Formats: sequence, structure tokens, C-alpha cells
Amino acid sequence: MLTRLISLVCALGVCFPALVAAELPSPDLPIQAVIDAAIRDDLAAKSIIPALPAAEATILRRTTLDLAGRIPTLTELADFEKQSPSEKREKLVDRLLDSPDFALHQRNEWDALLLPSTRESSNEWREYLLKAALENRPWDQMFADMLAAKDDDVDRRGALQFVKARARELDDLTNDTSVLFFGVNVSCAKCHDHPLVDDWKQDHFYGMTSFFSRTYVTRNRRVAEKSYGEVKFKTTKGVEKVGHLMFLTGAQVAEPPRELTPEQRKTEDDAVRKAQQEENAELPAPPQFSPRWELVQLALQPENRPFLARAAVNRIWARFMGRGLVHPLDQLHSSNSASHPALLDWLERDFVNHGYDWKRLIRGIVLSEAYAWSSEWTSATSVPGPETYAIAAIRPLSPRQLGLSLHVAVSNPASYEMVLDAAKWSQNRNGLEGAGNGWAGYFEQPTEHFQVSATESLFFSNAERVQNDLLRDGGDRLVGVLKAQTERDSGIQTAYRVILSRAPSDEELNAFRGFLSQREDRSVAGWQQAVWALITSPEFRFNY
Amino acid sequence: MTHRSYFCGSPDHGVSRRGFLGTAAAASAFAADMTHLDVLQTPLFASEVKKQQKHVILLWLAGGASQLETWDPKPGAPTGGPFRAINTSVPGVAISELMPKLAARMEHTAIVRSLNTRNADHGGGALMMETGRAVDQGIPCPDLGAMIAHELGRADSPVPDYVSMYSSTEGRRKGGSGFLGSRYAPMFLAEQTIPENIRRLEAVSDIDHQQRQELRTFLAKRFANGRMDNTVASQNMAYERVRGLMTSEKLFDVEQEPAEMRAKYGPTQFGEQCLIARRLVEAGVPFVKVARAWWDSHGQNFETHLELVTELDHVMSTLIDDLKDRGLLEHTLIITLGEFGRTPGINASLGRDHFASAWSSSLSGCGIKGGAVWGKTDEDGHKVIDGEVKAGDLFATVFEALGVDHKREFHIGARPIPITDFGCGPIKSILA
Repeated sequence: MLTRLISLVCALGVCFPALVAAELPSPDLPIQAVIDAAIRDDLAAKSIIPALPAAEATILRRTTLDLAGRIPTLTELADFEKQSPSEKREKLVDRLLDSPDFALHQRNEWDALLLPSTRESSNEWREYLLKAALENRPWDQMFADMLAAKDDDVDRRGALQFVKARARELDDLTNDTSVLFFGVNVSCAKCHDHPLVDDWKQDHFYGMTSFFSRTYVTRNRRVAEKSYGEVKFKTTKGVEKVGHLMFLTGAQVAEPPRELTPEQRKTEDDAVRKAQQEENAELPAPPQFSPRWELVQLALQPENRPFLARAAVNRIWARFMGRGLVHPLDQLHSSNSASHPALLDWLERDFVNHGYDWKRLIRGIVLSEAYAWSSEWTSATSVPGPETYAIAAIRPLSPRQLGLSLHVAVSNPASYEMVLDAAKWSQNRNGLEGAGNGWAGYFEQPTEHFQVSATESLFFSNAERVQNDLLRDGGDRLVGVLKAQTERDSGIQTAYRVILSRAPSDEELNAFRGFLSQREDRSVAGWQQAVWALITSPEFRFNY
Repeated sequence: MTHRSYFCGSPDHGVSRRGFLGTAAAASAFAADMTHLDVLQTPLFASEVKKQQKHVILLWLAGGASQLETWDPKPGAPTGGPFRAINTSVPGVAISELMPKLAARMEHTAIVRSLNTRNADHGGGALMMETGRAVDQGIPCPDLGAMIAHELGRADSPVPDYVSMYSSTEGRRKGGSGFLGSRYAPMFLAEQTIPENIRRLEAVSDIDHQQRQELRTFLAKRFANGRMDNTVASQNMAYERVRGLMTSEKLFDVEQEPAEMRAKYGPTQFGEQCLIARRLVEAGVPFVKVARAWWDSHGQNFETHLELVTELDHVMSTLIDDLKDRGLLEHTLIITLGEFGRTPGINASLGRDHFASAWSSSLSGCGIKGGAVWGKTDEDGHKVIDGEVKAGDLFATVFEALGVDHKREFHIGARPIPITDFGCGPIKSILA
């Protein structure tokens, strides 16, 4: 099994560069060791010396934002500072991966990715994702649940929201499935064979569409499928074609032949229409043959599964490293090679061999050397390109990360003293989740080339909620703590440690001393504005 | 950088693969534009600004206005309805009698009578006419306002570069900046006529408001040391714009206008919003959308249009005069557009239904050959018989009228997305 040949059947010209497993590093190596070697080798070949390791406090903040979805608390900062240097990173990662924060954050990341806020969501969906995150459900199973869970499977049917939210738009269902699960954007191939990527023909687009064309949603918001129906399309030459149930590799599913009389079709059409229009209409029996289920089976076959596995690995990598090994994430095809091809192959193999265990992969990535490099380029040489990973990426916080982090930053740090005690913390963590979500709605989900809008800066500058909630001077708030401090310098130190998870430099200390000393007659306002400057600073807004 | 080949560039779409005019080039082209509010107080400088900067006021007729009761009347035809056609200041051009004031100013306006956009669904039609695209790009595309804000706006502009107003719930489509990003999203006026969060809270003194921002800038500069990042830069720019945007609060206040001017526009919400639109344009805002709803006259089409067209006629005429008096008309393009037109056939409720096969739009002012008419519908108005245009053709015309190359491309990563929809181009004969 270990010498598996990863050379794919090149049906219709779709194949990844054939690689023999023997060329890859040993499958027994730890993930982080393979990553480190691959990145170091590439840098050496390009004569690039990477950025310095990030400061320890930066690593704590970066890792906590990535695994817990929020900035570290003062308690976590103090704890991290006193751990022994040789094992503190690994201990931190393992503590966070087991924390109640991780499952919630993982849920939120999936939610934002798979059902953007413009799509209809549901409690069942969010509960499903949380459960999947808590039990570390393998990605191949989640994929199967999302596309083809049985509607009476209470444990899994929440996942069907992925289909339900798109059932009215067949093109969206086709393309989102291709992009999000297989890393392939086939939308160009709707109107014509992809002109510059030989891999993608109209047959592929309509092949994918065919798996979804029988899907509909009933009046009672259940996902159902018809027993017949096909997709017709016209080629650019005007030839009418019928879509075959065909996967991206060209592999097809043969549907058992089944003759339906016009009367039978009409009976079924009537029943489907009734189910779509009337509440409590009797649902037609689920068909014997389910195209969505066939897609799942096909995509998981050994010769086809690299799409699912590679896309997942590439996307998880991009989330933590700022850029996919294949970039952009939806352009996984033969003429767009990976920046580190052997690394991607190794990670893909490792992912499949370990049962699509995304949590294991995440652990390996965040323990890698490159993950912990600085985002600051101090060398006189020009800044290396992002595909070298020689310097840490600067990533905007997601709305939920920002919401949670704001709430942590402006709260009295004593409210989070139990954070290291998993049992006690889990009782408090849900409350924090709610508070963070209350802020998340004000911010936008970052996309590639994301820009912070003037709506956001005006919100922070002039919204009543910012002044009356974030900057409130009550005992449960940071401003309340700061105004009670007798020493100005220790107040500044506290504000920095709570909000930016580090101590201020001398220059910063001086600047804040000056700012506050001009406001001695109204010290509450002084502290409020000092906290304002810190929570609106780029250092807070980004994971750097 | 090597040129990767993983994007759509099919000849089937008629894509032009010309060189990429980067945002840097676009920005420097408008770097000379100093549209600061204080600067506008100086008359000499103001006239310079007016010469250089171009603007759009989009009058969005939400729900779909009838072309037969506006720009393409069919008097005497079975589909014509009760209103007559009247002659205009341009010989040979007749429009509905519901628009006598616009008829008298026809020399500023070109009519497009041959839109065939094929989507008569409110949502789909509106999306197409907002973005000018019939071909799905697989990603959210910017609407006209966002594209114009991107092309004509100044990166560090102290005024908003895209303001969107609506006048009743049905017209409330947010539009959006799609792949151009939130920098170009509209400042959206929902329940109020003053934008949200544009006014300083009383609890924060002006000096604190300003100095905390300076403290923030100090922190931002330290952070930027050794870190060149566009998204980080966009955050700093968003904060740098705050104080400027706040000074534009007065622009949204019609009370600042003399009573005489307000009387000219009339006491209606649409009139006041168009007056605000003129104030914004005068201060340098590149794109203002005023949505007027609700034109969806499935019943009582003629009563509805008597009321709405009469108001449009009055307000738009006032707007044209006002812009002209201020020397702004030649730099400002006024567009009337909606998601579609209305059926020539009159239904049993004396209404007209959704119709996207043969309908009209108008363009007035900047870059337009006034009095020109493009396209022709048959005698009942059922179909286009000459000069059929698609959404993308109309948009290409708008771009060219503003001096924006309609062949320009945006780039998402390495993938080029042309500003104009595939296979579309400008209607040259109505361009000045």
C-alpha cells in the first residue's frame, strides 16, 4: 500500500503529474518534518534566507487565533511565558486542539466557507458542523453527509443544508461543489470547453450538473430527488448533447436502464409538484438510484479521490499559511502546478492514509517551522514571493475571530481566569461565543484581495455601540480595570498585554504616557481612547 | 512573473486579451483631481475640478418603468394606451406626453429604444441591469456604481465615491462591489437620509476623536515597518478617510440649500434625493444612485405612470437645469434605467406586465450626443427591429461616455474579467 503508484488514469486528458510514491519522503515522518524539509529545500534552491522566527508572544497569538478563533487571554499569555521553551509550542497546540474553543472555531470556519452568509442557514446545519468538529469526523464522511445524507438520518441530515441552500440554483450547486470539495472551477466550461485548460470540457460541467439536476426541496424544506431527468446542453457548434453522470476524471456512472411511460412520468411530476407546493404532502418514495449518492461513491474511489483529498489539503494549508500550495484554490488542474509539488503529494497521501483526518493535518501545519516565522521582513534583500512561504502571511481576522477577539480584549481579564481549566472554561465559552457573534455581523468575510471598508472604520469611529459597550468603564470591562489602576505605566502594560498580547516598547510606552497625561482631568476618556487606538490598530485587526 | 493560463479567454465570448491597465495607472490618471470640500470654496479651483472629474447619477426606476409611457410611445397602436406622443426640442424625436419638460430639454438626452435583455424576472433582471452582465462569471460581479467608483474615484478621496439612496422598500436592493471588494461598496442610505456613523458622538470630544486617530496612526506606522501588505494598507486608508467622510455629512442635508432651490426640486423624497445627488456630485462624488419605486404596474398602469412619470419629468428636468447652470452637466451623466420595461399588451387589470424584449433607457449629459435615438421597435412595440442592444452594450456606452475604455479588464489573481460583458460594445452613434 505504501508504494502505491499515484499515477492516475488519464481519462479525457485529466491527470495530475504522475509521481511514484517512492520519490516522496517516507510516510512515517511527522507532518511538520516533511513540511520543514520541503520548504527549506525550495528556499535553499532559490538562495533565499527566510524571515526570523516570530517573537514567542506572536506565535502564541497567531496559534490561538488559528486554533481557538480568538486572541489569547492574559492568563494564557502568562502561562505561555513561564513554560519551558523546548516544548511550549507543542503543549500550546495540543491544549488548544483539545479545548472547547477549537471545535467552535472549526465549526465557524466550515460554516463561513461552505454556507456564506448570503445563503440560507439552519440550526441543524450548525449543530451538525459542531458535532463533526467535536468528534473529528473524517472529511470523506463529512463530504458524503453534505451531499447525500439520508433525510431520516437525524445525526447527519443537518449536513444537507449545503445542498438545500443551493437547490434552486443548479449552476451554483454544481460549481460550489466542484470548487469547495474538488478545488476545480468548472463554470468557464458551461458555455464552451475551457479554452486554456485542456482538462475542462463542457462535458465535465454538464457531467457534474447531471448529479444534481434531479434534486429539489419540498415545501417542508426537505431535500429530495426525482427518479428520472437528464441535462441537455448545446455545444458551441450547436450540437445538442445530453449530460452523462460524469466525474472530473471522466469516470462515469451507468444508470440502470429504466423505462418510464409518459403516465408514470406524469404521476411522478405531479407528486413532486405537490411536495414542492403543499405542506404535509406525501413525499414520493426516494428513488432506487440517487445521482448525488453516486457522485459521492465515484469521488471516493481510489482513482478519483485525489480531487477531494488534494483540495482539502490545499485549502487547509492555505488557511494557516495564507496561500494554497496550488494557487488559486479553485484552480487545481494539470497546467497549474503546485509551488511544492512533492509536499502536496506527500500531504495528500498522508491525509488519505490517515483516514481524511483534518485535525491531524492542522496539527502538523501549525507545528511546522515556517508557520512560526515572522511576518516582518528585516533583510535588505527584496521580499520573497508568497509562494515561497519564507515570511509569514498577514491574514485579516474573520468576522467571528474579530468579534470574539474584541470581546476578549475589552473585557476585565479576570473574567477569563479559568481558561486553562477545560471543564470550567467550557461552561464560559458558549457565553463568549454569543457575545462575539453579536459583533461579527458588523464585519465582512475576507476574500482574496480583501479590503477593509470605510463602513468598518466609520463604525469603529462613531458607532454608539463601540463607545457604550466596548469602551464602557464598568467593572466587567478593561476600561473599568484601567481607570482603577493607580500607576499609569502599569495600566498601559495591562492594556497592551490584554489587547495585543505583548508588552509595549519604550517608544510606545512614551506615546501612551503623553496621550494619557494630556487627559489627566478626564482619565476615563483617556483610557477609552487609548483602548480604542489599540483595538483599531492593524496589529489587532490582522493575524500577523 | 510567468503568465499562467488557467482562465477563460475563449473567442466564443469575444474576450479581448489586451494589456492590463493596473489600478496604479488608473489612480495616477486622476491624481490631479483635488476634490476636497474646502477646495471647492475657491471658485477658480472649483471650475478646474469640474473640468476634470466625471460623475454619474443613476435614476433607478425600480420595478420596471413602461417604455411606452416614457421614451418609446406608440400612439394609436392597440398597445399604445391613452397617452399621446409629443414633439421635443429635437426635430423628429417624439416622447410620451407625460414628459413635457424633458421634451423641451431633449437636446441633452439620447434614447436607447432597443434593449433586449431576455430576463423579465425582478431579481435576475435587476442583477443583470445592475452589473451589465448576462454571462455568469462564477463570482459575484460589481455593479455599475462600484465599477465607476473604481474607475473614477480617488483612492484617498475625502468624499464617498459611491452613494446609493432608495425611496421605498421595494427599491431597496443593496447592489454591491463583488470582486472589486468592499472599498468600492456603496455608502447606502437606508432609513435615514444621513449616512450611518458619519457623525461624531457627543460622548467623544472632537480633540479626542482626532488625537486617538493620530495615536492609531502611530501604531499603524510601527506595524507597517517591514510589512508591505495591501489589505493592511486598505485598513489604514479606511481610517484616514474617516474625518473627510465626516465632513461630507452636510452634503446630505438639504436644509443647506436655499429655499428657492429646494422648491425647484419639489417637496417629494425623490426630488430631495436628487438634490442631494447634485450636492454630492458637485463635491466630487463619482457615482450616485437614486432608486425610485415602485414602477411594477401589473394593474392600473396608466394611473401609476401618470404619477411617477410626471414626477420623473419634473425632477429630472430640474436636475438637468441645475447641473447645466453649474457647468456640471457636461461632466455628469444622468441615466434612467430599471430591471426591464413593460409589456406592450395591456392586461385585464389595465396593467402592463414584465417585459425585457424591447425596452428603453436614456442617457443625458456627459459624453452623450443629445437628441440622438438608437434602435427601433416594431409598430406595436413587441420586438426590436433595429439596433438591438444588450445590457453590456449599454454599459459599454456608459463607460465610453465617461472616458473609460470599455475594453479594460479587471484582474482577479491572473484571471482577467473584462469590464464589459462578453461580446458587447458601445453604441458609438449616441456618443458625443
